Formats: sequence, C-alpha cells, structure tokens
Amino acid sequence: MTNRTPLPRKPFNPTPVWLSAWIAVLWLIVVDLDISFQALAWGLADIGEYFGRYGDPDFSDLSRYLKLLAQTIATAIWGTFFALVVAFALAPFAARNLTTGPRAYRIAREILSFMRAMPDLLLALIFVAAMGLGPLPGSLALGVHTAGFLGKFFAESLERVDPGVIEAVRAVGGDHTQVVMYAGWPSILREALGYTLYIMDRNVRMAAVLGLVGAGGIGLALHDTLRLFKYDESAALIAVILATLLAFDYLSTWLRGKLQ
Amino acid sequence: MANITINQAEKRFGNGFHALKGVNAEIASGSFTVVLGPSGAGKSTLLRLVNGLETPTQGHVALAGEAVTPANLRTVRGDVGMVFQHFNLVDRLSVMTNVLVGRLKTRSWLGSVLYLFKREDMDIAHEALDRVGLVEKSWERADRLSGGQQQRVGIARALAQRPRVILADEPVASLDPVTSEEIMQLLREICRRDGITLLVNLHQVDLAKRFADRIIGLNAGNVVFDGAPEQLDRATLASIYHREGVVHDEQLESVLAYA
Amino acid sequence: MTSSLNLCWPTRNGVPPAAALVTVALVFGLLLWAAPRAEIDFVRLAGSIPAMIEFVGRLLVMPDWDYLPELGVKMLETIEMTFLATSIALVLSLPFGFLAAKNTSPHPAVFHASRSALSFMRALPELVWALVFVSAVGLGPLPGVMALAFVTVGFMGKFFAESIEVVDRRPVEGVAAHGAGWLQLRTFAHLPQVMPDFIGTTLYILDHNLRAAAILGLVGAGGIGYDMVMAMRLFDYDRLLPIALSIYLVVTLLDRASDRLRRKVI
Ligand SMILES: Nc1ncnc2c1ncn2[C@@H]1O[C@H](COP(=O)(O)OP(=O)(O)OP(=O)(O)O)[C@@H](O)[C@H]1O
Ligand SMILES: [Mg+2]
Repeated sequence: MTNRTPLPRKPFNPTPVWLSAWIAVLWLIVVDLDISFQALAWGLADIGEYFGRYGDPDFSDLSRYLKLLAQTIATAIWGTFFALVVAFALAPFAARNLTTGPRAYRIAREILSFMRAMPDLLLALIFVAAMGLGPLPGSLALGVHTAGFLGKFFAESLERVDPGVIEAVRAVGGDHTQVVMYAGWPSILREALGYTLYIMDRNVRMAAVLGLVGAGGIGLALHDTLRLFKYDESAALIAVILATLLAFDYLSTWLRGKLQ
Repeated sequence: MANITINQAEKRFGNGFHALKGVNAEIASGSFTVVLGPSGAGKSTLLRLVNGLETPTQGHVALAGEAVTPANLRTVRGDVGMVFQHFNLVDRLSVMTNVLVGRLKTRSWLGSVLYLFKREDMDIAHEALDRVGLVEKSWERADRLSGGQQQRVGIARALAQRPRVILADEPVASLDPVTSEEIMQLLREICRRDGITLLVNLHQVDLAKRFADRIIGLNAGNVVFDGAPEQLDRATLASIYHREGVVHDEQLESVLAYA
Repeated sequence: MTSSLNLCWPTRNGVPPAAALVTVALVFGLLLWAAPRAEIDFVRLAGSIPAMIEFVGRLLVMPDWDYLPELGVKMLETIEMTFLATSIALVLSLPFGFLAAKNTSPHPAVFHASRSALSFMRALPELVWALVFVSAVGLGPLPGVMALAFVTVGFMGKFFAESIEVVDRRPVEGVAAHGAGWLQLRTFAHLPQVMPDFIGTTLYILDHNLRAAAILGLVGAGGIGYDMVMAMRLFDYDRLLPIALSIYLVVTLLDRASDRLRRKVI
C-alpha cells in the first residue's frame, strides 16, 4: 500500500460531455420542430386501427400493377446503366493515383460531388418539366444522381489499387487509358460489381417513388390511391412493391455474397 | 543493345531528402551490371531514373545517346523492360494477358479498351513465355502462381517488350535461394543471348559476384565502388555497407566475416 | 472474321471467355427488355436538349431575396429532422444489431426474426412510409422523422449486424474465459471492436438521411422538399435556384465532413 507507484493522472474522459450535449441538442430539436408527444401518442394509439384499414388488400387490378412494376424496374435498370457509363468514364480521373493532372482530378471530383448532391426527385422534377412526363426523365434523374455515388465508390476503390501494379504498366510505356484498363479496372472488378449491384438495389427503391413527380413507375398509383383513401388498393400496391423490393434485396445480397 | 549514360544525376525528393548526390556511370551495351548498397542508399531511385519513373533534379540520363525527357517517356519506356521485387502482376488477369501488357506500346486506344491484341503480339508473348518455361501456365490466373513463377512471368512481360535494356529492382529479394539462382541464371542468359543491357539491384553479395560483369556500390547517394566483381574485397564491401555515424559496426563485421 | 482482322482476345481460342460473353449478353438482354418499358428514346432525349438548356436559362434569374430567411428556416428544419431521426434510429438499432448478428444472437429463431424485421423495415422507401405516416398522424415534420427513423433502423441494424459478424473471435474468447456474462461479453468484447465500423456506418447514414429528408416535403412530411416542389409547380424559378444551391451546399459540406471524420476514425 505504501510503496505502490501512484497512478498517473487519469486522462479526461469526454464521453459524458458529448452525451449530454447530444441529448440537449435532441431536446432543442424536438422543441423547435414542434413535435407534440400528444399527437404522437394519439397517432400511435390509433395506428393499430389505422393499419387495420390495410388489412384487406384488393388485387383486382393486379395486371396493371405488374405492368407499372415492370416499368419501375426498367427505369431503375436504365438509370443504373446511365450511371455506370458516366462513372466508368469519370472515376479514373477522380482517383488520385490514376488521374492525368490536378486539374482533371478537381474537375472530376466536383462533377461527381455535384451529381451526388442533387436529389434525384428534384432532378426528376426538372427533367419532367423539360421533356414531359414518363419514365425516361426518371431514369435520367436516377442516372445523374447515382453516377455521382458510383463514380465516387469506383474512384475510392481505384485509389486502393497496389501502386506497384500501376507502376508496372506505366513502366512498359502504357498511356493513361492502358494503365486504367490493365492495372485499374481488373484489380477492382469484384468491388465495382458489388457497388453496381448496391446502386441497382437503391435505384429500384427510388424508382418506386419517382411516380410522385410524374416520372413513371408504380409510385404515382400508390399516391393516388392513398389520396383517395382507397386502403384496399393501397394495401395491394404496397404488398406488390414490398415483395419486389424484398426480392431485390435478397437477390443482390446473394449475388454480392457469391462475388466474395 | 543500348548503353546507358548517367551523368551527374542528382535526386532530391519533394520532402527535401537528397537520395542521389551526383552519380556518374557509363553502362556498356549488352553488359550485366549489379548495383549493391544498403537499404536507402538510392538503388531503386537510380534504376527508376533510367526509365523516367523519377526525373533527376540535376544532371541527366541518356539511353543510346538520347536523353530521357518527359517528352520521349513513352518511347523510352517501350524500350526498357522492368522487373520488380514484388512482381507487380495484375492478379485477376491471365498469365498470357500479363505478358501481353508488355506489348501495350503497339496497341491503339480502342484495342486497349477492348482487350484486343494482334496475332503477332500473341506470338511474341508466347515466345517470351517459352523462354521462361511457363507456356503451360498461359491461361492460368496470375495470382494462382508461386512467387518464382510469378517472377518468371514478370521477366516474360519484360521480354515481350523486345527491350534494349532490362532494369531489375531486387528481382530475387522475395524468393528462396534455389529459385533465386534460377531467376539470376535466366537474367544472365537473356543478357548473353539477346544482348540486352541488364541493370540489376541486389542485396546478395555472392550472387552479384558470380553473375555481374561489373558492380557499382552505392552508399547514401554516392558511388563508392565501381569495378569488376574480382575487385570487390573486404575493404570495399565495408565502404559500401558502411553506416553513417557508426564507428565500430559489429553487425557489419559479422556480415563481412561470412561474405 | 477475327483472323482476317488479325486481332484476337488473349484467351485459349481467341474469343472472350464464356463468363464474359454470358454477362454481356445478359446485360444487353436486360437493357433491351427494359428499353421500351422505360420509354428509352434517344431521339426524344436529344430533342429535349434545347428545352433543357432553355429551362436552365430560366433558372438563372435574380433570386427572390425576401425568401431567403424562410429558406434558412426550412433548411434548418431539414437538418434537424435528419439529426433527430438518425439519433432515434441509432439507439434502436444497437440492440437490433446484436440480435441480428449470427454470432451474438441469443437464439437462431431470434436471429431470423430480427433479420426479417430489418429487411421489412428497409424494403419500402422513406417516401412511401412518409405517405403512410402523414395519413396516420397528419402533416408536418413528425411523420417525416418517423418514416426516416423507421427505414434507418432497417439499414443501420443490418450494417451493425454485419460488422458484428466479422469481429475477431480471439478477444471475445479472452473475455469469455474470464467468466463474463452474456451482456458483459457484448459490451466489453464486441462493442469496442466494432466501434469504428459503427461510427463509419452512422456517418454514412447521416449523409444518406440528409438527402432523403430534403425530399420528404414532397408528401408533406416537413423539410425543404415542400418548398422545392411548390417552387417547381408554381414556376417560382427565382426560388428554385436558391433552394437547389442550398441543398447542394449543405449536402456537400456534410459529405466532405463525414469523409474526413471517417478517415480519422478508420
Ligand atoms: N518518393 C519519395 N519521397 C521521398 N523520399 C523518398 C521517395 N522515394 C525514396 N525516398 C527516399 O530515398 C532514399 C533512397 O530510396 P531507394 O528506394 O532508392 O533506396 P534503396 O537503395 O532502393 O533501398 P532498399 O534496398 O531498401 O530498396 C530512401 O531514404 C527513401 O526514404
Ligand atoms: Mg529499393
């Protein structure tokens, strides 16, 4: 007890401070957003009854739903394809180790980050205004928005490619394209496929709501039935969407598992 | 086939580190030159000056009388093959495609993007694989091969370039002694039969003595020895591997005792 | 034909590998199937370029300065919704993550049940849940926060579970060997190991939720989205540009900040 070396001073542990700050901020937000717990309690008490109204789905219009669903998936496929093409072209310039110069790097990064920042629904609104209703503006909007993500993911993977492999292709006199094609893409093929599947998954989810702004797909039908309080048809639509998205979720998880 | 002229080459890196402090060397066409030196002496830097992976801050490097400049980088690199310590193959591509990478200088933009090659290029790659004795592995994925086999693919890639010079940066540092011997013999044979100029960095003094026509000793960015392998004695070895600020270097003593 | 062109692929027989051919055929087949359904029409696409340029031209008008304070309020609301929803989801998904990870779940039945619950929660997009919640609790940020938090639990729980499943087993055994209980094992062996992953996931989701919150207003669930749609529908182009710019600014700032933080943590 007496000859024990005293402990060095305990370093200050900031966790409680952060935690209380966090809770304080949350409380301020709740006050500012005017979230009334009464309304919430009220709503939650009713919510059982409310969801009960969806208990009797009406599938009489199923063939129309399936058609809309096919359109939704088609929109997502083309959106993903557009994104893939753009990302494929831009990502090598947005990867620090493969870019052609600091200016090309900056420009590619800025383009990608701009595309990411524009919400796809806003883009869809704009494209619908410019080219009329239909799924085409929808897939274009998805393409632009997710190209920003895909390009960023690809660029980050490319930056992790073994520098030695890149150097080897440079050392045989390979130009920029050849370095990208022979050292870049083959090294990240698997990761890139995984990201593409992930974006495809996300685009199907998003395409299901693009209809809200007139960009095709099943979303508009759901919006209409909900607005007209047709709970039976809404329930059927939700069931169809849910089944599809769950199927896609499993499919892409399974495919990504196979890639590893 | 081409001589290398290194004239007053200095290299100072962006962080201010002075890696080469004025190196002069005239390397004869078709010779086999080994560069020895402790870690950090600047061996890799020197090699990388020759194919323009680094540019000298002072002085210049010339290949067959033509200075290496940013403008003629692609032609120079097309003429100079490089073999790496860690092989640096593209794992997911087949052995054949890895060797064909050596032919990229002849390929068009579209051909490169579509992974299309000329039949002549395929023949050259086939021949190069034959030289290193790996034809039967042609369609195997590169990462399925052992280290020694991967290094032979690396050498085939350099051969497929039909180079005038091959640079090898510690080509046997990751290999066992027997495989090392094999690879060194292969390199020596390439030098003798094809008349290709070889510049090789090594850490193994015994291999250097047995295979080199000429040895260059580098220490802290300076050439401290330049001569035939027979001239390499204990004193010169001591000067090559001498460590700054260490007066009585016991480790060095015990290494020299076995050299 | 290949031989007359004197070109070939670097394979045994000079044609691309079967796997590559099948993949390309499959992708092309899908695109062809999808093209008429998505009304892909490159002529229409090209034809709409002038309209697009004209539209962008119309956007470039003097912004409506009087609107800016309101824009600030709406933007703050969007950020607050994001933060609140992500916080709620974080608290809920921590236990969910442990229940839905194979190696920490108390029972296989619990594992399957929680995995299914998480799949269900993230299957429908936020906007659909927002639609549903708006008709359940009325307009305003509350249904938006509920929808965001609900879907986020689905994603976060899954990501957490996946991180937990790949923890190093040796420290866990080390702690278990000293007689730690079920909960102790989770707080002392698993949690410290997955913390960096959790923080990375949370940052990523915060980013995602901000983008989602920005459009929830479309269905009346609070945030900047409502103003965005209204400006579009009423042709208030002098508001649309500031709205788009402010979304760009906030999203990009968060994107950069979370990138930097993530790099620090991992
Ligand atoms: N890009 C760089 N930036 C800054 N310093 C560098 C860079 N590349 C090399 N150096 C430094 O230059 C010195 C020489 O490096 P070099 O790689 O040529 O040594 P080496 O003789 O090949 O050593 P080793 O035997 O370990 O491979 C080292 O001290 C290294 O840290
Ligand atoms: Mg070296």
